[in-house]
Amino acid sequence: MAGPLGLSLAPLIRSSPLLTKIFTPAAQWYAGGSLYRQYGLLYDDLLIEERPEVQKALSRLTPREAYDRAFRIKRASHADVLHAPLPREQWTTPEDDIRYLLPHVLEVENELKERAKWDTLTVKRKF
Amino acid sequence: MLASQTRASVRLARRSFATVVDTAGFKVAAVDSNQPTVAITFLAKAGPRYQQKPGVAHALKNFAFKSTEDRSALGTVRESELYGGVLSSTLSREHLALTAEFLRGDEKFFVDVLASVIASTKYSRHEYEELVLPTIESEVNALHADPATHAIELAHALAFRSGLGASLFAAPHTAVTADDVEQFAESAFAKGNFAVLGTGISQSALSALVAAALEPASTTAPTTAASAYFGGETRLDTHGTPQTLFIGFGAAGAPAPELAALAAYLDPNPSVKWARGSSPMLQPENTSVQVVYLPYSDAALVGLLIQGPSAEGVRAAGKAAVAALKGTSQVKAEELTSAVAKAKFRLASAADGRAGLVEVLGSKVLAGLSETSLEASLSALDKVTAAGFTKAATALVKSKPTYVALGDTQALPYADELGL
Repeated sequence: MAGPLGLSLAPLIRSSPLLTKIFTPAAQWYAGGSLYRQYGLLYDDLLIEERPEVQKALSRLTPREAYDRAFRIKRASHADVLHAPLPREQWTTPEDDIRYLLPHVLEVENELKERAKWDTLTVKRKF
Repeated sequence: MLASQTRASVRLARRSFATVVDTAGFKVAAVDSNQPTVAITFLAKAGPRYQQKPGVAHALKNFAFKSTEDRSALGTVRESELYGGVLSSTLSREHLALTAEFLRGDEKFFVDVLASVIASTKYSRHEYEELVLPTIESEVNALHADPATHAIELAHALAFRSGLGASLFAAPHTAVTADDVEQFAESAFAKGNFAVLGTGISQSALSALVAAALEPASTTAPTTAASAYFGGETRLDTHGTPQTLFIGFGAAGAPAPELAALAAYLDPNPSVKWARGSSPMLQPENTSVQVVYLPYSDAALVGLLIQGPSAEGVRAAGKAAVAALKGTSQVKAEELTSAVAKAKFRLASAADGRAGLVEVLGSKVLAGLSETSLEASLSALDKVTAAGFTKAATALVKSKPTYVALGDTQALPYADELGL
């Protein structure tokens, strides 16, 4: 049922201006508080990658994006070993925290859905 | 009963595009011989001759029928399969052809598929890397396993250097990116740079369908310089493939009918299947000799392709081939008559099939020539005289030869050893 991105209420919240207004500050506080930015990571670095869809999406990153991702994960792992967040100037800023992997994952998901649709198609003659 | 039906269908089969209509920036030509299937070809001046970066035309050929704004690559394939149609893209040195073949009645869908390929292919990076590059790679591998095609590729590079000399194939590790392909496609499918050719569909129906489906972009079409002939010699060491020689001559300028007659005259193979010819070019041990005659819009390459298992056999056949090429000026009248007849038959039988018709006449439609029938090319061959033939043959052989040796380069002869 849940895709590689897990269950999400975000589309529902984004569709309502009132809910957006209520939840945006909370979401920002939560993202800041969940510490991944203090380890220099982006949100999409935390996506569970042991799934075929995400693996396929990772293969579609540009060489630069793939390099940067590997660098961030390495740096964060090292900081974790040291039991200390990175120096403040290396923290991820909210503006830099872009969803670089999400569009690729969605695209792969849609491709798989389309393939399933064509594989299970029933052909009806219209005339 | 059957015979009379066959005769009737022969009469019905027309081998020329009756009219060429310019519809909103592109030419539409169609011929309907009442056959049960329809084929529609979008023919663009987008061969490697027009490419800015090596290999981009080959990449564009393989990028055909990938994701567009209307449907995904998978959707295009599956939907065409439901209609029972066949989609194909073919590349020649001057033209790129996108073809759909299908049953009568499905014209609207397939015109829509072809139009969306031309107008709105996405040229996405991941499709290039996942679908296009592996195809390019396998085609390049197939080229390297096929010495005949490889020799012709090398011969073109020697004979024409740039323009027509550009290879049909990308390099094994090509530097072409999806963005390069997109830029090339934009110029290749510009207004006036492509023609729509149909068989099994009427001119008016095809024009209406295409005009409704496609609005060509008014970008600038790719350009190319006029061809010049250079010639030269190259040798490539390969193993596991037959020993291959290509000995040829080229000529710049519109291909003369004399060259087609010359190619037919040079052919040592007998007209009866399985029979053995008496030409000295046909050595024992299955040494094969093929005549290569490749006419382009402003140049032509004529030559002999010799293949055999042993370098000695190939060397002997090569000596005979050089003697035959040099001896074309002493042609007898009856030999010329039979050569012209052979050339006419080859041209006519090539244009018999649908693909051949598009290949033979499509370039004429695209070039905007008023005359797009096969009869004109055939009557030009009729006008070949002994004097004209001798003059053309002498001029051709006087130019610098194009010589390619592929295989065991230690044993294969050099051009001067064969008397070139």
